[in-house]
Amino acid sequence: MKNNRNRLNLHEILEVRHLTDSTFVIRFEKNDLNFTAGQHVCVGPPNGIHTREYSIYSAVEDPYIEILVKEVENGLITPVLKKLKAGDSVVVEEPVGYFSLNEKEKLNKKYLFIATGTGISPFHCMVKSNPDLKYEIIHGVRTAEEGYERTEYTQKRYTLCSSRDKSGDYAGRLTNYLQEIQIDKDSEVYLCGNCNMIHDAYDILENKGIPNEQIHAEVYF
Amino acid sequence: MSDSERVASVLNAAGCERVESEEEANIIGILACSVRQKAIDKVYSKISKWNRWKEKKNLITFVSGCILPADKEKFLKLFDIIFTMPELPQLPKMLGEYGITNPLSLSSEPQTASEEIKLFWNVKPKYDSKFEAFIPIQNGCNKFCTFCAVPYTRGREISRPSEEILAEVKELAEKGYKTITLLGQNVNSYGLDKDGKEVSFPELLEKVGQIGEEVQKEFWVYFTSPHPRDMSDDIFHIIAKYDCLGKQIHLPLQSGDEKVLIKMNRKHSLAKYRSTMESLRAIIPQATVFTDIIVGFTDETDEQFENTRKAMEEFKYNMAYIAMYSPRPGAAAYRWEDSVSLEDKKKRFAILSEELSKHTYEYNKSLIGQTIKVLVREKDRKTGYLSGHTAGKLVIRFESDNMDLIGQIVELKVSNAAKFSLEGELVTKEVEA
Repeated sequence: MKNNRNRLNLHEILEVRHLTDSTFVIRFEKNDLNFTAGQHVCVGPPNGIHTREYSIYSAVEDPYIEILVKEVENGLITPVLKKLKAGDSVVVEEPVGYFSLNEKEKLNKKYLFIATGTGISPFHCMVKSNPDLKYEIIHGVRTAEEGYERTEYTQKRYTLCSSRDKSGDYAGRLTNYLQEIQIDKDSEVYLCGNCNMIHDAYDILENKGIPNEQIHAEVYF
Repeated sequence: MSDSERVASVLNAAGCERVESEEEANIIGILACSVRQKAIDKVYSKISKWNRWKEKKNLITFVSGCILPADKEKFLKLFDIIFTMPELPQLPKMLGEYGITNPLSLSSEPQTASEEIKLFWNVKPKYDSKFEAFIPIQNGCNKFCTFCAVPYTRGREISRPSEEILAEVKELAEKGYKTITLLGQNVNSYGLDKDGKEVSFPELLEKVGQIGEEVQKEFWVYFTSPHPRDMSDDIFHIIAKYDCLGKQIHLPLQSGDEKVLIKMNRKHSLAKYRSTMESLRAIIPQATVFTDIIVGFTDETDEQFENTRKAMEEFKYNMAYIAMYSPRPGAAAYRWEDSVSLEDKKKRFAILSEELSKHTYEYNKSLIGQTIKVLVREKDRKTGYLSGHTAGKLVIRFESDNMDLIGQIVELKVSNAAKFSLEGELVTKEVEA
C-alpha cells in the first residue's frame, strides 16, 4: 500500500491552517523529498490529473513540507485543495526551481525580498531555513490580514504595505514604498508575486541603480 | 484509403489507440467538408463543446480536410492544430510540440516519471534514415516556461544512463551514420538530476568527441534543444576541441525583452544570454547559431517587440524559428488572455523574418568561393540538383543526378548565396575511411 502511494506521489496531509477566508497552509508528509529554499513543488488533488506549482513555505530542515495557497475563484485546483483536511492526501511532485540563494555567499550578502500576496512563501522558507540571513522583506498586500504569519519574521526586517487599508506598516502600494526608500546597491534583490508588480519593481530597481544580475524574479500566475 | 483512414493510420503508428466515444478521447480531430455549410456549422458546434472540456481534461484538437480560407482563420483560434492533408505525416510531430511523444503522457492514469521514461527509453529505435540518427538522452523539464506545457506533460528532467547513450553513438558511428543528434527537452541540463552520480553534459560531449576520434569516420554530432540557463563555456570548449562535434549551436532566445523573459519565466536574463553568446563567438568563431523566438506573447508591447528585433540584429543568427504566439493547452499562459492581435503578430513575424534575412544573406554571401564539407541529404526540388547541409546546418544545393551521393559527405565550392540557402559546385567526393 505504501509502495503504491509512493508510486503515485501521494503524501498524507498532516495539518491545514486557514489564515484568511481564502488563504491556507497545507502541511503534508515530506517522505524522501529534499529541496533548496526557494524551490517549488507541483501539488494537486489525489484523484486529479492536474497539479499547480507552489513555492515551499516551510524550512528546509522541517520534518514536513508546507505550501501557502490562495483559493482562486472557479479555479481547477485550489477550491479542491481548500476542502482537504488532515488524513487526506495530495499528489506532490519532486521539488525543482532556480529561485534560490547562492549557497556559498548567502551569509555574506544582504538580501531584499519583495513579494506580493502569497509570493511571500519562498521568502518565508529562506528566512526560516537560514536564521542568520541578513534580509529585509517588503510585502505588498491589499489588506493587512494578508500579512500571513508576519510574526514569524524579525519585525524590524519586515514591512507590510497594504494598498486598501491603513493597517499595514505603510499605507499604499508596495511599488510606491519602493520608490520612497533607499536601497543598498550591493543588495541581492528577489522579487516574487504577480507579474505586474515584478515589472514595475524591476523598473524602479533599475532606476535606483541596482544591477540586473542582482535582480532575481519568480512570477506567480 | 480514405482521408480518415490515413489519419487513423498515422495516429496508430504514433502509438495512439482509437476509443469508442469522444468523451474518452485525449486527441480529437475533424476532417471538415466545406461543401455544405451545415457540415461546417457542426464543426463549430463540436469545437465549442471540446474547448469547454479542456477545462477539465487534457485534450488536443485538430482539424483538416477541405476548409475555406475564412473558416481556416477562425479555426486557427479554435483548434490546437490545423493541417492540410499533404502535411498529415507531420501530425505526430505537431502533437509532439504539445509535449506528447507517446500516449502515456496523455493518459489520465497517473504514471510515475520513472515508469514513463523507462517505456520511453525502451522504445526500440527505428532509424528512418541510413545516415541521420536521433538519440534521446534526456526527458522532461524543470524550467516551467509559462508558454509551454512540457513540464506538465513530460514531468521532471530525467537523464538516460550515459553508457547507453555512448554505446548507441559508437554503434551508429561505426555503421557509418553521418549525423547524430542528441535529443532532450533541455538537452544541456543532462545529468543535473543525478546529483553527481552521472556525467554532466560537457563530460558526455567529451566522451562523444573521444568516440569520434576512435572510430575515425567522419560524422557530425548535434544536440537540441538546449536552454540558455544551463549553457556553459565548458560546452563550447569541448565542441571546439573535437571535429565530430557539430559547429552549430541552437540557443533559444524566445524574446529580447527582459520583462517578457520574466513573464515567460525563462530563468535567464538578456544579459546572461548576451554573455553566453559572447563566449560562444569567442570560443567557436566558426559556429552557426540558430534560435527560437516567439512574437506576440501575451501583453507584448511594440516597445518590447522592438527589443527582440534589436536582439535579432545584435546576435546575427544563421536561422531563427519564429513562432506567432498561440496559447498551448496546459501551459500556465493558457490561462491568460491572448491579448496581441493576429494582425500584430503577423506584422512582428514579418519584421523579424526580414531582420533575420539581412544577416543570413550577408553571412551566406561571405561563403562564396569557399570549399566546404556538405552532407548530401536528398534530391532538391530543382530538377537535376541534390541538396544537403553544411556542418553548420546551412542548406546548400548543387547540380548532380548521382543519387549515390545521398548520405555521403562531399566537398562543394560555394558559388551562389540566397537569404536562407546556398548553391555550390561539387569539388570532390569524400573518400570513405
